[in-house]
Amino acid sequence: MATIEELKAQTQALIEARSAWLIDVAKTILAHPEPGFQEVNTARLVSEKLHELGIAHDTGLALTGIKGYIRGGTPGPTVAVLGELDSLRVPGHPHADPHTGAAHACGHHCQVAMMLGAAVGLKALEGHAALAGNVALMAVPAEEFIDVQYRWNLHQEGKLGLMAGKQELIRLGAFDDVDLAMMVHTSSSSAEAAKFALGGTSNGHVVKFVQFIGKSAHAGSAPHQGVNALQAAMVALNALNTQRETLRNDDTVRLHGILTSGGASVNAIPADVRYEGRVRGRNAEVIADANMKMDRCLRAGALAMGAKVNIVTIPGYLPMVNNQPMMEFFKRNAAQLVGESNLATHPPTRNRGGSTDMGDLSQIMPVIHPYTTAATGTGHGADYIIQDYVQAVINPAKAMAMTVIDLLAGDAAKAREVLATSTPIMSKSQYLALQDSRLTEELYEGQ
Amino acid sequence: MPSTEALKVAVQEAIDRRGQELIEVATTILQHPEPGFREQKTSQLTARKFREFGIPFQDGIALTGLKGMLETGNAGPTVAVMGELDSLKVLDHPHADPTTAAAHACGHHCQIAMMLAVGIGLKEAGVLPDLAGRVALLAVPAEEYIEIAYRDQLRREGKLEFLGGKPEFIRLGALDDVDLAMMTHTSSTQTEHGKIAYGGTNNGIVAKHIRFLGKAAHAGGAPHQGINALNAAMIAMSAIHAQRETYRDEDTIRIHPIITQGGIAVSSVPADVHMETFVRGKTIEAFLTANQQVDRALRAGAMAVGGRVQVTTLPGYLPLQNNPSMLDIYGANAAALVGESNITQLGHRTGSTDMGDVSHLMPVIHPYAVAATGTGHGSDYLVQDYELGVLTAAKAMAMTVVDLLANGAHHARTIKADYQAPLTKAQYLSLMRSMFEEASYTE
Repeated sequence: MATIEELKAQTQALIEARSAWLIDVAKTILAHPEPGFQEVNTARLVSEKLHELGIAHDTGLALTGIKGYIRGGTPGPTVAVLGELDSLRVPGHPHADPHTGAAHACGHHCQVAMMLGAAVGLKALEGHAALAGNVALMAVPAEEFIDVQYRWNLHQEGKLGLMAGKQELIRLGAFDDVDLAMMVHTSSSSAEAAKFALGGTSNGHVVKFVQFIGKSAHAGSAPHQGVNALQAAMVALNALNTQRETLRNDDTVRLHGILTSGGASVNAIPADVRYEGRVRGRNAEVIADANMKMDRCLRAGALAMGAKVNIVTIPGYLPMVNNQPMMEFFKRNAAQLVGESNLATHPPTRNRGGSTDMGDLSQIMPVIHPYTTAATGTGHGADYIIQDYVQAVINPAKAMAMTVIDLLAGDAAKAREVLATSTPIMSKSQYLALQDSRLTEELYEGQ
Repeated sequence: MPSTEALKVAVQEAIDRRGQELIEVATTILQHPEPGFREQKTSQLTARKFREFGIPFQDGIALTGLKGMLETGNAGPTVAVMGELDSLKVLDHPHADPTTAAAHACGHHCQIAMMLAVGIGLKEAGVLPDLAGRVALLAVPAEEYIEIAYRDQLRREGKLEFLGGKPEFIRLGALDDVDLAMMTHTSSTQTEHGKIAYGGTNNGIVAKHIRFLGKAAHAGGAPHQGINALNAAMIAMSAIHAQRETYRDEDTIRIHPIITQGGIAVSSVPADVHMETFVRGKTIEAFLTANQQVDRALRAGAMAVGGRVQVTTLPGYLPLQNNPSMLDIYGANAAALVGESNITQLGHRTGSTDMGDVSHLMPVIHPYAVAATGTGHGSDYLVQDYELGVLTAAKAMAMTVVDLLANGAHHARTIKADYQAPLTKAQYLSLMRSMFEEASYTE
């Protein structure tokens, strides 16, 4: 029987042979960006590519998600390799869709390609006695928690329960047969110097969908008859800014948002103003405190103007916990690919400030979420461009495939060891109950 | 019996004979400015002049006010001529008191001199027996609604109920025996053309004393443990400004807060921030509506930071209405003195005066003598023409008193009979008391 090192070498060679094909997938997705839960073309492309690789899969999971399997020769745990389907919206991005403003300003297009790359490398081991258990190949929708109104409407229509991809897949049971999971995110040279960065954590968050309700009136001839919902929002956001001095640095609180509707016509007093916001923090307690301050300010804006405010708080993401033993496997494989000196390992307390629904998954199973530094520019900015597609697609695909081999080879001894030594922070039902409890709606009438 | 015109000439001559002495009264007060309800020296000077002039008077009315009385010996209405005792506080005014910052940046020092001039003019001209009724000479405290915290303390001590001089005079009954009233304010060439301006209306007002209460904490070491009362005040002020588009032009709303305490030490999160503001408007309804919006904004400030706000709303002044018939009489006398071309008819003015309160109870006029240069309430407001600012202004009022009370006080009686008071004294007091509110909000 082949040694683990021989299996890995074979896997790397298979991925290497498909390099151009994989990078082409990434670039095709880059050219056709689609925001979360709307990744119809991206999903179709993934499905075609899985067919081409001969991998059976389900589609339409959480609207656009896909899940295929490569099964080992003997029973064992299931390791999921994930890629995210969705784009952001950054209208000034050079690869933005001119109509929708959708753009891959966060590198997710590479993730789907790397997931397929891992599949390319591992497919040869299907039914192979060297591999116990299964590899789940998952293309997941909607990691970026944007288009809040759109998703809230889907939620109201019963088409979505939880409003982000992995959250909803957990709820729907798509992770019920998954024991461990991994994905690799791209990063920029402006954020990381090393080629692979491991460890660290992310903020949790809640999502705010807020409507200020005033009373319209002619803004020139009868402003006294109106109640200005935009002024209510301005007062609220000014108030929110004054809270910043009360936030502790250690808590990495982020309060930010956008006005998605700031009035309908300039000569009418704005009566319906929409704000989509985000309250991030390092743990549930911090988020609850900052969210209380956010709500206080939103109400104050309405009170000041005699307006109403409807505040929907939507359960967002939970902080990321990287599984240390899994990370060690990934790290050794990454070192083999790019050299020890090109790796960075962050302590578990190092908070990146952003958030990911991989954090949600990390609460219920061992996961890793390393970064590959392949882009230049600012994450989520108009200048975020993947420059090194080998590092963006091929190397992470290899590192993940090699890590799967580490975990599942030898009757999945290492995967079993990881599972035995890792206690999930919560069960799936606890997770769903927690998220349910975080969904609230309040109508406050300022008078 | 001499003609009314002859009586007026005699009064003008009598005022001119005392001209230098009367102007000295004004310039003496200018040198000793005292803010409202603290006008001790000004009050003593007025008393001394009453005594010198042989005019009987009461003093200590509303703490520092005085009321002299000239009797004609004939039955008839009482016409009051008023002067205001108090100064403003304008730190860099050239005549400011270096320790208190008190300064006559609104020309009230001339008003006491004019009021005394009317009194001595009517008395020494010997015209009183030819008139009917009485002339009340009032030196009234505290027209400028300032030092709200100080006056509110006097209120809490029971020394005052209202924070302005004339509302206190009304409450204390000092105007119970007065039927018509007049006073002349100085004005600046920057604001008005000509020499005498009259007519129009003034905004009414409520005053507010506000405390934002938070929680002190080290501003560097533990700001998360504090509640920033200054931020509450900032949010409230932003929110007040956000309301401005809802004010109707014709309501001439004015809201202009100051922060009298904005924190104690820069390294400590401000926990007790004090604000004073006026809410002014052309009608009582307009300023009371705006006042509700201000309260909402104040509550919003406290709410946003999780603090508390104590809002004390104090009745201020009512909008001023000039009596048209009295104005006609006054206008003719003013034109005779300064020429028709030097008369300006006024529209609505957005400042406020407690003469507005008096105007809700009796016919009043409140003309202006354009004797100053600079900006009213500014450090450059200087009375330049004391002849106009004291003597001409006094003559116009004295002549108007003669017109009102001559011929058995025919004009005064007619005006009084035609006048429909918007409020009785009892209604006035109850309205004023209804505007008083003390509230504390934590939301």
